[in-house]
Amino acid sequence: MAHHAAPGSLSFSRRVARLRRRATFDRVSFLAVFLVVPVALFVIFELSPMVQALYYGMTNWRGFSATMDFVGFRNYVQMFSDTKFLISMRNSALLVVVVPTITLVLSFAIAAVVTTGGRSIGRVEGLKGGGIHRVVSFFPYTVPAIVVGLIWAQVYDPSRGLLNGVLKAIGFKQFQGFAWIGQVSTAMPSSMFVIVWSFVGFYTVLFVAAIKGIPAETYEAARIDGAGRFRTAIAITLPQIADTVRTAYIYLGLAAIDAFVYMQALNPQGGPDFSTLTMSQNLYMEAFKGGNFGYATAIGVVLAAVTMAYAGVIFVVFRLLRGKDDGMRAS
Amino acid sequence: MAQLVSRRYIAAAVAALLALGAVSSCASPAPSGTDSASAAASSSVTASADNPFGLKDGSVIDAVVFDGGYKTDYVDFAGQVLQKKFPGVTVNVTASTEISAEMQPRFVGGNPPDLLDNQGAQTIPMTSIISQLATWDNLWAANTYEGVPIKDAVLSGVKETGTYDGRFLVMPYVMTVWAFYYSQSLFDANGWTPPKTWDDALTLCDQAKAKDLYLFTWGKEAASYWKYLAMDSANKQGGSDVTQNIINLKPGAWSDPTMKAVLDKFKAVVDKGCFIPGGAGTQFTQAQAQWSNDQKALMYFTGSWIENEMAKATADNFKMTAWPALVLDEATAKVPFAAVDAGASENFVLPAQGANVAGAQELMRAMLSKEAASNFAKSRLAPTIVKDTVPADGFGSTALASTSALLETSGDNTFTWAATNYDNYYGIATDSLVLWNSFLSGEKSVDDLIKGEEDLNAKAAANTDIPKMTWNV
Repeated sequence: MAHHAAPGSLSFSRRVARLRRRATFDRVSFLAVFLVVPVALFVIFELSPMVQALYYGMTNWRGFSATMDFVGFRNYVQMFSDTKFLISMRNSALLVVVVPTITLVLSFAIAAVVTTGGRSIGRVEGLKGGGIHRVVSFFPYTVPAIVVGLIWAQVYDPSRGLLNGVLKAIGFKQFQGFAWIGQVSTAMPSSMFVIVWSFVGFYTVLFVAAIKGIPAETYEAARIDGAGRFRTAIAITLPQIADTVRTAYIYLGLAAIDAFVYMQALNPQGGPDFSTLTMSQNLYMEAFKGGNFGYATAIGVVLAAVTMAYAGVIFVVFRLLRGKDDGMRAS
Repeated sequence: MAQLVSRRYIAAAVAALLALGAVSSCASPAPSGTDSASAAASSSVTASADNPFGLKDGSVIDAVVFDGGYKTDYVDFAGQVLQKKFPGVTVNVTASTEISAEMQPRFVGGNPPDLLDNQGAQTIPMTSIISQLATWDNLWAANTYEGVPIKDAVLSGVKETGTYDGRFLVMPYVMTVWAFYYSQSLFDANGWTPPKTWDDALTLCDQAKAKDLYLFTWGKEAASYWKYLAMDSANKQGGSDVTQNIINLKPGAWSDPTMKAVLDKFKAVVDKGCFIPGGAGTQFTQAQAQWSNDQKALMYFTGSWIENEMAKATADNFKMTAWPALVLDEATAKVPFAAVDAGASENFVLPAQGANVAGAQELMRAMLSKEAASNFAKSRLAPTIVKDTVPADGFGSTALASTSALLETSGDNTFTWAATNYDNYYGIATDSLVLWNSFLSGEKSVDDLIKGEEDLNAKAAANTDIPKMTWNV
């Protein structure tokens, strides 16, 4: 459309005429393939279930019949006096704050060390053997989440688990029968550890790739100015890959809000005193165990709202932190 | 910038939509199919004594069976028994471990299976399908393949626990006895006797500790088994009203003095460290293996499926033996110590909209034949609801033999509150499980536990979406 010198000057009828004249097969097929089909798919498989969900969330549907009563906002009112729901919301909030933060700090530290933490003379490079570490740290990510969860549930086993076995072997006898995921104080941190463990490698690789894109001259200049490794990582590397960090933070946050697979494998009943129950687990239990599909759908609507609010908050925070300068960047 | 932002907003929004769509895309209600009467009529012929439900020659019976500890081939076997009588009929048995999720679209779409074994971790809540089920009344009135009226051929209590709001909707197949299980050989070797009272249990706990062993064990998914012990114990000590009031959600039922006295003793057992520590973080089959394989715990309170469930993780020379639930004081107990909680499980239901309702009833009749029921007892080492299918030696299984002996001794004192599954029916089973995990960990006092259970019962009573039941079992 760029060759239209002054589209605004054309009269409406002439514009319509021009469009009609240009309705060639090429143009129509292009529109069909690149606009109509994707939009149709989006409407059918994304928007319509969403609208349906809004409706089911306002019914008392029990899931197995075609009949249901419209109950208005009763499910939503009920939700905010339902202690189990409130606990699950708190747990999901905790996950979304802690898991991405720890994962990204660790990933960034490893990525910085293996790319720019090497000797301080000559070419800027990573620590010796950093390549091996990069590969090894990626391993957990190649294991499906459900397998990760099941393996760690065994590792945490109080009597026969690897963790207590090692702890006892090195002299900590008080860990005999210690239930890592079976008591309120340790269940959530232990579960978080598993999630962090499984994600660190992937985000390390992601950050390494981003750091490789930073011009070596920038590092050389910093080094000449006397910046140490830590200062370089914080003042040079981090700002240069801030966009990647933000994207990573959002994706990890979404994974943490859900966390369904890990939690279901570690503590399918929601953990001691529901201390690891997530919103998605609560939704699943209400629907498939309790038969409260209407209520569960309403929880799904709130979960979606929370997820979107989270993405929004992250954008605002990064915007405030970085000002508007990222508008100038090409990536 | 604008494009960048919008691209990522879309990514986030799509993820959010997926979360939202996840629940709604499970199933959408569709118009109901034909009503049960006409569906049944189209696939049946005139009934006769030999063909009491009017099963049509050449028809297909579609059965969906929970693929759990008992597997599903016992229904295939019953299908073969049926085909001896009706050679033209085809029986299709589908195994499923996710009954609820897999059956939902079929119920909503009006094409449910003819016969459904609603069992397992993903049981469909009865309240969700209650209006779509036909009664088993016709079957109840029919004769077995041996010519005995079915209601006389099966153990008592079957119809009572399967009746919802006056309608007999659930036909359970397997007899489940709730009891302690222990190794007779281990007890003999150490000169121990199984406890009758809670005080006996505390004594035995000391004897176990002297050998660096524990009395009991529990796993996080199965903490409720110990709730069943507490309720069985209170039922025997204080009479069946104690449990009846609980399952019928009577306010204050958990605060009953007998219940409280039992829980006080239970708390003493917990506080003494008689349970293997860490059960709240132990997968339940692992916990069970601590008892059956490692023999770190002496006794385990569970259902009679335990032998089958732990078959591959049971130590050699483990003479698994059943033993009744504890009482407070044998002299004052309202129900004799020897009484056990026995009820039927493996809940078969009859969807009214099934294409071959007659076939489903005929298949269940075949399952209740001596031939099929004996096959089940022998191959699964568990009794069905059909009487007299287990020989005295229990096919060589000490667990089955002792379980059958317990049932026989218990006789008319047998009680069946557990088979009502009241906590699943009211959707409070998981909440209760979590409470019991905390109690067994020693983190909750008796008062906390009672208050927690009272609150759950109150919550169930307040839920207007679930019709209230009055069980009289």
